[in-house]
Amino acid sequence: MGSSGDNNDGLAFQSGGQSVVNCQSSGMGGNPFFASAWDPVVSISQHENFGGSSMLSQSELTNSPYPVVMENQGISTTSHLVHYQSGSSYVELVPKFPSYGSGSFSEMVSSFGLNECGQIANTGCHPNYTTNKEANIERTIANSAESQEDHQLTEEPITGASPDGKKRKRVGESNSSYDPNKNAEGERLKDPSGHSSDVQKEQDEKKPRTEQNSGANLRGKQSAKQAKNNSHSGEAPNENYIHVRARRGQATNSHSLAERVRREKISERMRLLQELVPGCNKITGKAVMLDEIINYVQSLQQQVEFLSMKLATVNPELSNDIEKILSKDILHPRGSNAALMGFVPGMNAHPYSHGIFPASIPVISNANPQFPSVPHTTLDNDLQSLFPNGI
Amino acid sequence: MTSVHPNSTTTTRFARRFLISLSRMRRPITLGPPSDEEVCRRTRRIKLAAYSSMARAVGSRRAWSRALLLKVRNRVRFQGILRNRFLASKKKRVIKRNKASGEMNKTDMLRKLVPGGETMDICGLLEETAHYMASLATQVKVMQSIVDQYSK
Repeated sequence: MGSSGDNNDGLAFQSGGQSVVNCQSSGMGGNPFFASAWDPVVSISQHENFGGSSMLSQSELTNSPYPVVMENQGISTTSHLVHYQSGSSYVELVPKFPSYGSGSFSEMVSSFGLNECGQIANTGCHPNYTTNKEANIERTIANSAESQEDHQLTEEPITGASPDGKKRKRVGESNSSYDPNKNAEGERLKDPSGHSSDVQKEQDEKKPRTEQNSGANLRGKQSAKQAKNNSHSGEAPNENYIHVRARRGQATNSHSLAERVRREKISERMRLLQELVPGCNKITGKAVMLDEIINYVQSLQQQVEFLSMKLATVNPELSNDIEKILSKDILHPRGSNAALMGFVPGMNAHPYSHGIFPASIPVISNANPQFPSVPHTTLDNDLQSLFPNGI
Repeated sequence: MTSVHPNSTTTTRFARRFLISLSRMRRPITLGPPSDEEVCRRTRRIKLAAYSSMARAVGSRRAWSRALLLKVRNRVRFQGILRNRFLASKKKRVIKRNKASGEMNKTDMLRKLVPGGETMDICGLLEETAHYMASLATQVKVMQSIVDQYSK
């Protein structure tokens, strides 16, 4: 997997929705960057061409308390992209520096301080590259000079020092004040390569960059220039990677970052499961939740077994059963809960069902009373035992 | 993440398939009440029909449905002529990795419950569990309504 094969001049994107979905985190805003309102942003690409280190950082807005990373622009420089797999953290991008660009940039960048952030985010990429390369090269050169500062500038709000509102506003203004000329270039199409999850962690961990927070020295000159370059939309084709920044007070080791991302992903899934399993609203903790999940799945499977046993004993008398049944409201069976209570006999001993269903349960009238209670077997065993009997 | 709940098309498709396979399994009423063994056999067949029609209704979108369908197909061909060779080697590696901890913990139990769960990592496993749980719930709902219809 690895680098997306974007060989175009960098900036073909498809709409951000795709990349958002691929990020696999719930609750993402996922607006494309170019929306004037403040959006969660862009995806990052790992584009390697000379022309093409376009970047887009896409931050997912989630419940993260920290300000979302902003984006990139303008700098057509290249720097290393740091890739992390992220479920719900915000994203950043470290662009790659072009040759003419700046050795100095990296120094600048390294001196930047973001509070314990693991990587630096966003620099924009060159919208320039989309259109005429030749024409833009000069501009890029010019830009790169500024962009370096802009870079710092854009870094700065991300440090977490500035509150969210401030960051948003800046980006907003920069977007709004964006030179329409440049806007035109920045056609951000995002590449739909959406293998966001389970992307190379290894590769990510290979090139981490820890930047120290330089703090106040950057703040002064940046606000003016930020407007210009923030809106350089560096779009880069969406990449498999989601970039993560370390939060304040947390370890910046690349391994721990990746682990944190993973843990967040897992906890997000557990939350989803918690909503699915009835009666698990108050449970906190993975172990107990897992127990509940296992019990619930087992009980559902047992219910299927009981129902099939019941169907086996009942002889269908209706000839047009299919149409008739489908014409009834299958999707909303009446008194489903009461019906579920009918599965008692085998489930009496099951602690889980007692917790969920009310206690008193009528016996199934149709059930053959001599029929031994169906043992709880997994589907595999049943499949296995089925075929020796012949179909 | 997209919603895990099966939509109404999936439910209808499942209901239809299941009913069709049920109707194929009817036994003549003149034989009298079924013996225990026959009930056992029919139970298993019906259960298999339920799971496979659910998997078909869901389609190949989810890993668990693919795994279920593969299992059913392999059983039918008796000795797994269709067994996926690539999957076999990958499975071994992944199972080994997943068994890293010596004893049986909850994750392993979950893996056994969810079809296709052995080759997944925790993240994917949890997602598949969510979807599988939702489809099981619809399965139960539909089957219950069928039973209600028959017993009316």
